[in-house]
Amino acid sequence: MLHLEREGIVRVKGLPFVARFKWSTGFLMERFIKSLAEKKLLGAKCPSCGYTYVPPRSRCGKCLTKLGEKNLVELSGRGVLVGYTTAYVGLDGEGNFVDLEKPRVIGAIKLEGADSTIFMPIGEIDPEGVREGMEVEPKWREATRGELADIEYFKPSR
Amino acid sequence: MRRVAIVGYAQTQHQFDMQKTREDMVFEVVKEALSHAGITRGEVDTVVTASTDFLDGRTISSVFLSMAVGAYLKDESKTEEDGTSAAWYAFMRILSGVHDVALVEAHTQGSTFNPHQVSFYTLDPLFDRQIGVLNDVSAAAIQARMYMSSYGVSEEEIAMVSVKNLSNAAKNPFAQRRMPDLTVEEVLGSKLYYHPIRELMMSPISDGACALVLASEEKAKEITDTPVWIEGVGVCQDFYLRDRNLLELDSLRKAAKDAYEMAGIRDPYAELDVFEVSEKFAHEELMIYEALGLCRRGKGKVLLERGATEKGGEIPVNPSGGALAADPVCATGLVRMVEAAKQIRGEAGEYQIPGVRRALAHGQFGMCAQKNWVFILGGEG
Amino acid sequence: MMFRNVAIIGCGQTKHSSKRRDVSLPEMIEEAAWRAMEDAQVTPEEIDAIVVGNMQGFGGVAQPDQWIGDWIGAPGKPVMRIATGGTTGGSVGQGAIYAVASGMYDKVLAVAWEKHSDSKEPGATTGLLHVALANFFHAFNYGMNLKSLVATTVVGAAAGVAVYQAMFYMHRSGCRIEHFDMVAAKSRRNAAKNKYAHLQWPGCTPEDIAKTEMVAYPFRFGHICPASDGASAIVVAAEDIAKKKEDKAWVKGLASYSDEENQLMSESYGGVGILDASEQMGCRVSAMKAYRMAGITDPKREIDVAEIYQPFPSQELIFAERLGLFDEGKAWVALEEGEMEIDGRMPTDPSGGVLATNAIGSSALQRILEAALQVMGKAEEHQVPKEVRNAVAHGWGGVTNYTTVTVLGDSPR
Repeated sequence: MLHLEREGIVRVKGLPFVARFKWSTGFLMERFIKSLAEKKLLGAKCPSCGYTYVPPRSRCGKCLTKLGEKNLVELSGRGVLVGYTTAYVGLDGEGNFVDLEKPRVIGAIKLEGADSTIFMPIGEIDPEGVREGMEVEPKWREATRGELADIEYFKPSR
Repeated sequence: MRRVAIVGYAQTQHQFDMQKTREDMVFEVVKEALSHAGITRGEVDTVVTASTDFLDGRTISSVFLSMAVGAYLKDESKTEEDGTSAAWYAFMRILSGVHDVALVEAHTQGSTFNPHQVSFYTLDPLFDRQIGVLNDVSAAAIQARMYMSSYGVSEEEIAMVSVKNLSNAAKNPFAQRRMPDLTVEEVLGSKLYYHPIRELMMSPISDGACALVLASEEKAKEITDTPVWIEGVGVCQDFYLRDRNLLELDSLRKAAKDAYEMAGIRDPYAELDVFEVSEKFAHEELMIYEALGLCRRGKGKVLLERGATEKGGEIPVNPSGGALAADPVCATGLVRMVEAAKQIRGEAGEYQIPGVRRALAHGQFGMCAQKNWVFILGGEG
Repeated sequence: MMFRNVAIIGCGQTKHSSKRRDVSLPEMIEEAAWRAMEDAQVTPEEIDAIVVGNMQGFGGVAQPDQWIGDWIGAPGKPVMRIATGGTTGGSVGQGAIYAVASGMYDKVLAVAWEKHSDSKEPGATTGLLHVALANFFHAFNYGMNLKSLVATTVVGAAAGVAVYQAMFYMHRSGCRIEHFDMVAAKSRRNAAKNKYAHLQWPGCTPEDIAKTEMVAYPFRFGHICPASDGASAIVVAAEDIAKKKEDKAWVKGLASYSDEENQLMSESYGGVGILDASEQMGCRVSAMKAYRMAGITDPKREIDVAEIYQPFPSQELIFAERLGLFDEGKAWVALEEGEMEIDGRMPTDPSGGVLATNAIGSSALQRILEAALQVMGKAEEHQVPKEVRNAVAHGWGGVTNYTTVTVLGDSPR
């Protein structure tokens, strides 16, 4: 083995885990995703403590009650912005923050009838005009297909 | 319950793109910790490390480090997440009576793979990763805004945390960001990522490692005249981001409560002399004050304004510069333990706080500090 | 030694299969965790701490405890995440044991899992590329051809390590491929009696296995473990709590000694000295320590059943010897004589072991769980037909360098 006087070390490049995944969603999440085709947002309401999860899930994290299909509730889709940030950068998937062409708003939303907070892109608004407490609703894509991408973003309610 | 003490430690000089292999870095820091304790590898009973596969960019992150960390033919294990988790496990291994001397090591070379990208991989893959707007910085930014508007905190007040910690770091030769003359204006002029989080309000990407030697009471007294006792430990996990109250660090509050109870602390403000906390974002430090019970909810900024958490204040927080000054992810909390131990032993050099007898060290992991570890350390007497 | 007695008071696992598409990851984990808590008759609120683990690259989620925690009652509790490769489950189980032994916690839940079907890549080698690459170099050093080598990367586990390890063992002991057929057939038959196992084949014979294609010498397709979806969980409790429970398995000894990384050229070109990959000194030392803690001086006589981590049949023989259950190089002789069968003198892997079920993160915890079931007499159809006073559970992983050995018994130390 050669031992050289040197500055620094040699590195090789590659992404960790360049594997592709296809995660099973479980039954309640499947119902949530499929219902998007009808522009419906489903939640799961715990019969014991009343906490309502969106997206729905099979176990209440608060009181640990098992939740099932009968606990699904339909939400109006309207919600309130409880928090937000304006993004000036985004991750490129390879570990770099890249500057965005124009700033984007990310909202923390409490949907009417739900207790969970969901984090969604907010569109059709100038970052300067965003306020906490603002009412928002989903912007559905034209032809919904029962996919998460059916919700393009949330926008201020008119 | 038997007593356990820290009897030796070492950390690297944290920096971006350290020109060392991960193995060399780990080997050197472990060797230095053993020599600081004045023991040889032969005297170590058990080795516990902390690192994670995504951050190290390889499956079974610890697998090629058995030799570097000195675990060959040693009873060993690896926790993930923060190094304080490894310290917690090593502490329990000694408490069990099975082992007497434990070596704890944690590391991350953030330059290998961006830790912010890794934070995205911790999200619920069925929803949040599909939506794609969250990562640790955007989540922290949303939290910071909520905190600011709920408690009337300004960007300037958050920037003051960076100014305090990064100028403290100027005296710490191990820190990465050492900025003696930093001003609030400079912090607010640094690159904006997600409003209000700017470059100097978030921890830097660091390469670094840290190692601790723990020993049972009997062994500790053989090894050193200045053992630093682990008086209390508290650990707690919070709900997943969607179902958490982002205005509070509830899990840190619970972890601190457990640690105080174990250490017999009733009034942390009066009974603890220095705090080393893992504030990955500037606003988090204010929330940490509150969760540690140093002030009421929303009053973190008052402590800062009063100068109570400055080096010369009543309750100095992060005299070393904290996580804002260097964040070798898995090692960050363990570095806090080392810094707290240094303060107790009077080894903190230019950033020594006089008369430290008891100190708190905090480690965290996950989105908006979902998991927290709190250690109470104390000297003799 | 250990100051406080600790016992396993509850066991839970999912049915293992190649694809659990019906549930999401947290839903699968929840199944095992809740079964263990129900078995232990404790509520989630009573659990003081939780230890979890899997191989994060396989599921594609970093630190999944943060996401799945809400399904198993983690919020508000201390949660330790452990991952050590193949040994993950064993390390998780031992983490829970230490947590109780420390006196800090009285009831600890340990959960480990793998959900391979969430990955689109074939088999369990997803994300193992780095380790696989190291194995490539190693295999080339031993003259393996490229075709065989590629074959080893598409099967259920780290075959690249195991093929040359098996060759060392065969060379040293005189064991032949026919013995691997026998071990594999035994595993399939035993698994048929275990309702949670994955590859079940009632009445499987060594001849059936011998008919399967040679994948990478000396392994046939029938020698190789599957990639399973599944989770397992145990509840560990302090002595005063365990004493009040009808069913419990006392922890008598545990150890987890690391061996050298099994590569001629380790990452930092350290130059590693192990030449015989089947030597497994880490396992030998771990077993010695665990037996010493357990007060066992003659494992051949005092151990009644063993659950060995064996993704490949050669490993059941190698580790049975390393655990001191048979004389050096003689496990295959005992196998021929039927000693390793469920009703034999020294039953090994009555559950079918990893050869039948391999949800990697969970596999080594399953060994502890199955050993506990044998001690409690609750293994149902695959219960060994004799009194079980002591059982040993083994885990193996890393690049052949990690081992966990846990000794359980029907009475406290």
